[in-house]
Amino acid sequence: MNPVYFSLLITAVAMPVGIWWRKASYALVIAGSLEMAVFTLLGSGNLAYPLAYFSLIASIAWILISIFSMTYSAGYGKWLTPLFAMTVFGMMVILESSDYVTFIIGWEIMSIPAYASIGLNKEHWNAAYVFMVFSEISTVFLVIGAIFAVQETGTMDFRFQSLTSDLPLLLIAIGCMTKMGITPFMISEWLPIAHGNAPANDSALFSATMTLMGVFGIARIMLLSPSSIYLGFFMLAVGVLTVFFAALFAYVSENMKMLGGFSTIENNGSILAAIGLYVALGEGVLKTYLLAVIMIFALAHSVAKTGLFIGIGTTRKENFSEVDSSKNSFLTLGWFLVTMSLSGLLPTIGGLGTWMLLESFFMGAYQYGLIGIASVVAGSMIALAEGLASASMMKVLSFSQVHGHPKGSMKNSEGYVLLSTGVILILLFVLANFLIQPQFISGLPSVLVYNGFTIQSKFSAADFGLISPLYVLVIIIFFALAAYLVFDRRKGKLRIVPRWNGGVDFDQYYTSFAYASNIRLMLKGILRTRIRDGNRQMSVVDVFWFAMQSFASGYRRFARQFAYRVMNSSITWYMIYMIVAFMLVLILAFVI
Amino acid sequence: MQYYKTARGNGRYIGQTRSYTIYSDSIDSPVKVEKKPADIIPGELVFNYGPSTGGMIESVRIALSTPGEMIRSVAVDPTYKLRTIKLSGLSLKDAFILVERINGYHSSSYQAAFLKAVEDALLTEQNTGLDEELILQMELERIRSHLNVLERLCEPAGFGVPYHQIAQMREEVTRVISSIFGHRYFFGVHNTPKPSVRIPSGIVTRTKDIETRFALLFESLQDSKIFVNRLQGNGKIEKVWLVGPAARAAGYKYDARIDSPSLDYGRYGFEPYIEDGKDAFARFLVRGNEIFSSFAIVNQIISNGRPDQANLMNIHGTGIGAARVESPQGDLFCYLSINNGSVERIEFCSPSVSNIIAFEQSMQGNIFTDFHFNWESFGIWISEAGVEIE
Repeated sequence: MNPVYFSLLITAVAMPVGIWWRKASYALVIAGSLEMAVFTLLGSGNLAYPLAYFSLIASIAWILISIFSMTYSAGYGKWLTPLFAMTVFGMMVILESSDYVTFIIGWEIMSIPAYASIGLNKEHWNAAYVFMVFSEISTVFLVIGAIFAVQETGTMDFRFQSLTSDLPLLLIAIGCMTKMGITPFMISEWLPIAHGNAPANDSALFSATMTLMGVFGIARIMLLSPSSIYLGFFMLAVGVLTVFFAALFAYVSENMKMLGGFSTIENNGSILAAIGLYVALGEGVLKTYLLAVIMIFALAHSVAKTGLFIGIGTTRKENFSEVDSSKNSFLTLGWFLVTMSLSGLLPTIGGLGTWMLLESFFMGAYQYGLIGIASVVAGSMIALAEGLASASMMKVLSFSQVHGHPKGSMKNSEGYVLLSTGVILILLFVLANFLIQPQFISGLPSVLVYNGFTIQSKFSAADFGLISPLYVLVIIIFFALAAYLVFDRRKGKLRIVPRWNGGVDFDQYYTSFAYASNIRLMLKGILRTRIRDGNRQMSVVDVFWFAMQSFASGYRRFARQFAYRVMNSSITWYMIYMIVAFMLVLILAFVI
Repeated sequence: MQYYKTARGNGRYIGQTRSYTIYSDSIDSPVKVEKKPADIIPGELVFNYGPSTGGMIESVRIALSTPGEMIRSVAVDPTYKLRTIKLSGLSLKDAFILVERINGYHSSSYQAAFLKAVEDALLTEQNTGLDEELILQMELERIRSHLNVLERLCEPAGFGVPYHQIAQMREEVTRVISSIFGHRYFFGVHNTPKPSVRIPSGIVTRTKDIETRFALLFESLQDSKIFVNRLQGNGKIEKVWLVGPAARAAGYKYDARIDSPSLDYGRYGFEPYIEDGKDAFARFLVRGNEIFSSFAIVNQIISNGRPDQANLMNIHGTGIGAARVESPQGDLFCYLSINNGSVERIEFCSPSVSNIIAFEQSMQGNIFTDFHFNWESFGIWISEAGVEIE
């Protein structure tokens, strides 16, 4: 038996154990994840490069979240732990699946306990319903996509096989994109609503790894499908639009977990854009490079997003305005590293991922023609959104730490977990040379950067850009230490004086809401910023979510009116309806 | 009272004194207006500005409630450095010394309001020479005050050159005032009787030179897109209770020079300058153009007039009077009760009180960078708003 299947077994045991022994259950999930990571590294799993990376990425996130959950989940009743284990189990099934049926079964095992854990931990079930609606929409697309993929083979063989058409990829991508919080031509607020209403450990699990399953699903079929410029452009456009709007909504979000949710969508949009470029391109060096980009970016997103939600969880609050953060140096340092990675800054894996992503789009310009133009536009939009993402992370860091008062109920161990996550983000950056295909690794011995220490971006034989992670880290540490030693002469000279506030005794702190109001006002055409009459409170509208809700309520009104006026208990109309519906189904079946 | 009648709300609303509501044609019983503190909305912060800050020339505390960038509400507290001036019981001569110091920068307006109220209370005949003197004082004061506002508008825009050029013109006007009246701020002009008002030679040349240079500068400022952009659309307000340049910038032909009988401007062919932009730029234009109309009046009086001083010595009458004059900020009203040559009761309605309310309301919805431009455009003087007259 494949040794990786033991991880499935261990995690399956964690489910019933979790009902009675919370910590033991999380320990089993850690063991299962560790087992999966080790055997994936040893090459014992079902997956080879690049898909094997997904197991590794997910395992790192599960381990970190499980350690955090040991203390965090204490106040959430007995069901949170088994549901958590079951969600992880579903994801393991997805990762180890070798056919469409197992994949979809894993998808449902992952989704249903997630739905339950959102619903069980909130007074209102709306968030859980929203989650389930979109989960099932994604499943419907996956099933249809799988049917088309199997139909191509002309047999009843459900195993993943090479495809000649791009239709299964389109359908499965839409299904996975829905799970990633992306829907065609819009971003949907469902993911922030659902992830924002779950306990923080579940939010981390959903944002870091459940959306990773979406990326995995697309990547799985993408590698089996032919290149398609139209499908690639479609994914690229949706990805870029998503990146921009998600970064924008993250910036103006006041709910910390929803901000994290939007940040997840933003990261997924970036990955989707890279996938789009991959799908659009013919064979070549850039296409191979894009695979590395997708993996590194997914890795950075998952680990850092785990850290973000762990950090949010330590506050035990949902909104920035409620935060009374614990003053803990480990926690602050952890926050700093995690937000730095999500801001796309060096020396973290997030910085490397962002650099590689932007490099790939700017290299895409050398493909000339439509792809060249699309690459430059996409790269510029992503760079713009990265700026907004950095501002969002600055908001998280500032208003969860700097402005807090030391009253939080965080356990010390949670600070260690967050710090460990931050350190992992740096280690992954330094060790990135070992995670990327050898053809992109080199060195510059003439300037003492030895072979193996430099990552190249390239679309042909020559390199386009270079980065040497270890050297970057060493240089940053060197200059930081030098600056500290030269300028830190505060002892005995530091004078702290009371703050001058116009001559009056008046304390007022800058708020997170105020921090984001510049964009609320500057982009009021997009955000539909409104100042209500009377108390003139400022609010923004997610136009996509608003349009979706309006469409849904409009359809419901239409259906009700149709039922009242036309099908008002008239047997004749029922008969006509059934005949028309039957004929439509027959026509559809014939066409398909 | 010869001109004012106690009646219910005749004419346009001017403001409130401690005991009365003032309209352009009548005085009425007071209306209690309670100022409610603005509600604090979650996520909002109150940005405290002043009272001791480098950005303002007087002590005033301004609390700006904001959800970030945009200002939702403003509360101006001019009473942080509240002055109490006791005038009741003083002789008119002694009271006058304090009246001209209520707002030293605009002492001439206070002098005029007080002297015309005395005239009204004691039913003395209108002294044409005194009126000319007061009009000359007030128009020179208006030029200087408007120059000061325009100078202050240039400062936050970072317009160093016009700022200093206007400052120089303001100083030259002050020196003209000093040359004619013996004091840069008109202090003591009517306290010590002199044989006649001495107008030194060459004054008209000096005023015309200032006017010519100002005209060029005023044109240049209007041509500067950078400057105009900071003012246009900033601090829009259109309320029937506005006074002074703020009202005239909102399209209202409100001016005590044409609708108050206290001082006769008719002989100078004066017509108020009206704009309808309602914003800081319109207030800038009104003030700039009023400088020209004030120069025209000043030059007429200097060339052809016979200004004369008041004599407050040995007055022993009894009566109640009221007067309203157009100070550079707007209508300035004075109610005065005299008992045997002494002040029994005196109340002022200062335009800055109205302008503060106008500023507070016009600031709602604007952003922080608009703040200084809008504040300066109203020409508010805290010294006349943060004062209690007893």
